[in-house]
Amino acid sequence: MARTPAARGNPYLSYAAKRLIQAVVVILLAYVFTFVVVSILPGDPITSVLRDPQNGFSESEIQEIIAAQGLDKPIIIQLWTSLSHFVVGDLGLSMRSSRPVTTLIAEVLPSTLVLAGTGLVVALLLAMVIAYGTQFVPKRFGQGLLRGLPSLSLSVPNFVIGLVLIHAFGFQLGLFRVLEPNSLWATVFAGIALGIPVSAQIAEVLIANLDNESRQEYAAVARGRGLGQMRLFTKHLLKPSSLPVVTVLALTVGELLGGSLITETVFGRTGVGSLVQRSVSTQDLPVLQAIVSLTAVVFVLINLAADLVYPLLDPRVKLLGASKFRPTSADEGSGVSQAVAS
Amino acid sequence: MTERLSLLALSRRRLLMAVPAVATAALLTTAVTALAQTAGDPRNGGDISFLIDSLGNTWIPNNSAISSFQGHIWGHVTDKLVYVDADGKVSPWLAESWEQNEQATEFILRLKSGVTFSDGTPLDASAVVANLDIWYAGRRQDGINPIGLFPKTYERSAAVDATTVKVSFKAPTLGFIPTLGYHGSILVSPKTIARPAAEQADLGKTSGSGPYLVQSWKEGDFVKLVKRKDYNWGPPAVGHTGPAFLDTITYKLVSEPSLRVAAVQSGQADVAYNASPQELQSLKNAGFPVATPRYLGFVNGLAINTKLEPYNDVKVRQALQAGINRQEIIDTVYTPDWKLATSFVQSNVPGATDHSKLLAYDPRKAEKLLDEAGWVRGSDGVRRKDGKQLSLTLHSNPYLATSKSVDELIAQQLAKIGWKVFIRAYDVVTYGEKVRFGGPGVPGYEVTRSFIDAGTVASILTDANNGENWFALGESDKTLNELRDKIASAGSTEIRDPLLNELQRYVLEQGYFIPKTQIVQRIYVQSPKLKGEIYNGIAYASYYTATKRK
Repeated sequence: MARTPAARGNPYLSYAAKRLIQAVVVILLAYVFTFVVVSILPGDPITSVLRDPQNGFSESEIQEIIAAQGLDKPIIIQLWTSLSHFVVGDLGLSMRSSRPVTTLIAEVLPSTLVLAGTGLVVALLLAMVIAYGTQFVPKRFGQGLLRGLPSLSLSVPNFVIGLVLIHAFGFQLGLFRVLEPNSLWATVFAGIALGIPVSAQIAEVLIANLDNESRQEYAAVARGRGLGQMRLFTKHLLKPSSLPVVTVLALTVGELLGGSLITETVFGRTGVGSLVQRSVSTQDLPVLQAIVSLTAVVFVLINLAADLVYPLLDPRVKLLGASKFRPTSADEGSGVSQAVAS
Repeated sequence: MTERLSLLALSRRRLLMAVPAVATAALLTTAVTALAQTAGDPRNGGDISFLIDSLGNTWIPNNSAISSFQGHIWGHVTDKLVYVDADGKVSPWLAESWEQNEQATEFILRLKSGVTFSDGTPLDASAVVANLDIWYAGRRQDGINPIGLFPKTYERSAAVDATTVKVSFKAPTLGFIPTLGYHGSILVSPKTIARPAAEQADLGKTSGSGPYLVQSWKEGDFVKLVKRKDYNWGPPAVGHTGPAFLDTITYKLVSEPSLRVAAVQSGQADVAYNASPQELQSLKNAGFPVATPRYLGFVNGLAINTKLEPYNDVKVRQALQAGINRQEIIDTVYTPDWKLATSFVQSNVPGATDHSKLLAYDPRKAEKLLDEAGWVRGSDGVRRKDGKQLSLTLHSNPYLATSKSVDELIAQQLAKIGWKVFIRAYDVVTYGEKVRFGGPGVPGYEVTRSFIDAGTVASILTDANNGENWFALGESDKTLNELRDKIASAGSTEIRDPLLNELQRYVLEQGYFIPKTQIVQRIYVQSPKLKGEIYNGIAYASYYTATKRK
């Protein structure tokens, strides 16, 4: 990459520019990849509707309609058409429903944001309780159990957690009805199902950091001056050990989005997950592309934000060191494509 | 016990129910008279929920009217020119009367006056012309499909005056009037028709003239309909023409069949669509009304590909016809609500005749035919000829949930007489891609198809005039071609019925079409509180006349 003169003088700017170009490339690659994968699969939403036996269209009529839609053109031309629209922000119409893709996504986004938000809150609360608990619960009263919880909750798939929650709280205790997935309790339990696996990662990082900080010299000095565990924890350990959570949070966005696809299906919510599911089953290319690209955009932006905010929170962070080992959004792009393709 | 539980759930539901208060449409003078008719009627009021397994793909009227799912909503939001009941009887609706010329190439429709769409546009002759035109041609560039089964002989229509429409055809089209009662022929406002596909796909913007309006909807989630208070033009055949009784109908998507049924059992919902046949008997015993209406159309069965060996041999096809035990299919997979096929069209279709003799289970006859055709049993019980196995590949129909179970049973039955049967079950998209009438590797295409008028049948079977060429015969079967042309040019049912009878006999005798059972594609389980629904010729439930016990 040729550096701009302005960026040459400022390592921070050149780093930011590099990340930005990376991000754009990742988004475009995600777009092309989705297009190619879905195009290779047999069938398309329009013909599958036309071939509904109730329609009674003959083969030649079907071919006529396909040609009128421009679906018989070579893939490369179709890709070019759709990409040139995408670049200027035109997401086009859903092939399945003929409605604007932006409308479809706007309809389902709130529900998924509420779910992901609830999941995030649950995850944070759970992680804090577990991690800070390890600092206060004595070893012989089950500190080890608390330390083992994250790996346990990470190894249980969230649809299993969801089904158990639905059965226990929905069917047995009657706290929520399956037919009303957007009621308060149903949302809370969906958030719990989504949040438990996510909490594990945050808790692990928190525990490791707390242990690390309390071994530092300043903590030893503070203890020597007679500071109680409670004071020490709140005044000295809490802030520095909680900072890396910002990084982990950026990484859990992918978890939350991927998890909400499954959780929505299990709880019968109509959100981005169910839209993806409907679009995959009918190979609704424009919708899938928009969702994959938007996910890539969201992920890139959040990671970028985390990178940029971090130095402001913790002056000890070296600017370029942080970027070396942080996964880029490329990993996420492929993760979503896998989720979509499966 | 269950009764008490459901009462509890019901009172709780009533508490939770939001009271709809939406009145967007401008009320017309008819509203006053209509209201006077039913005001204070104790049957008024009530809200029902209908749990459905899918809400289809698009809401463009032309592309979704025939959907087994969306057709339910269209049936309440829109009206038709004629009404076709479960026995195929055609009666006036928005067309109060009609005439045709001798050759059935010209029709005059006389419309009811004072009918309006929910957007205020009058449903007059010009609105009907706009609808006829789009049903026939669609707007392909814009992604609006024609209505598949609308007569392809259509030439043009014109408004003679506000309530008279003249329709002309290029050739005799006796099936035109019944087709107007077909589920594809829904009347929508000319304003809706004029909109581009992307706007037509927004169900909330589509105006019909039906007894209900769309109050709110969310794609892939629900559609909530609310009563139109000034409605006053229901089909006389259902014995009620004023506004509907129920206030709202909510169609809610619940993809898990057992969950749909459980919700009705617990009183959380009123109707569950498409329960599995195995559950029906216990539901009936528990006091839940179950309906299995048949639509007018083809029976469920196989259209045989005569291009493919060994099915180019009439003896092999006849052996197949005799080698299937149809009673056993009903006894094993279905319930006594299903009926034996007596022809390749459903027995409630006007013009259907009884050919049960040709469809009797006769394994000995089948074996004899196969012997004559040179298929000899090997030591493994499978018949062979010139080193080839006698095999049959069945592609189970993804549009019919029970299709695979039926195919498995047929595989067992045919194995007894020396057939090797392979079963392929694809999802809807793959099926549409790989399985065709007369397709390579498709010895039999499983038919699930409704139609309103038996006259359209003959033209489908061969490839003349864009027909679907079901048996891959092309123009090779003279008898079939002759019957097709005579039926197409028949100007009256008196001339046509004997020809239809002959067609049915011939197709079954030749083993071109192998019926399985009469088809029930729509199964309803409902709450005992809900009464008075009516099933039309396409087996959709209409709740226009329904009431709910408080």
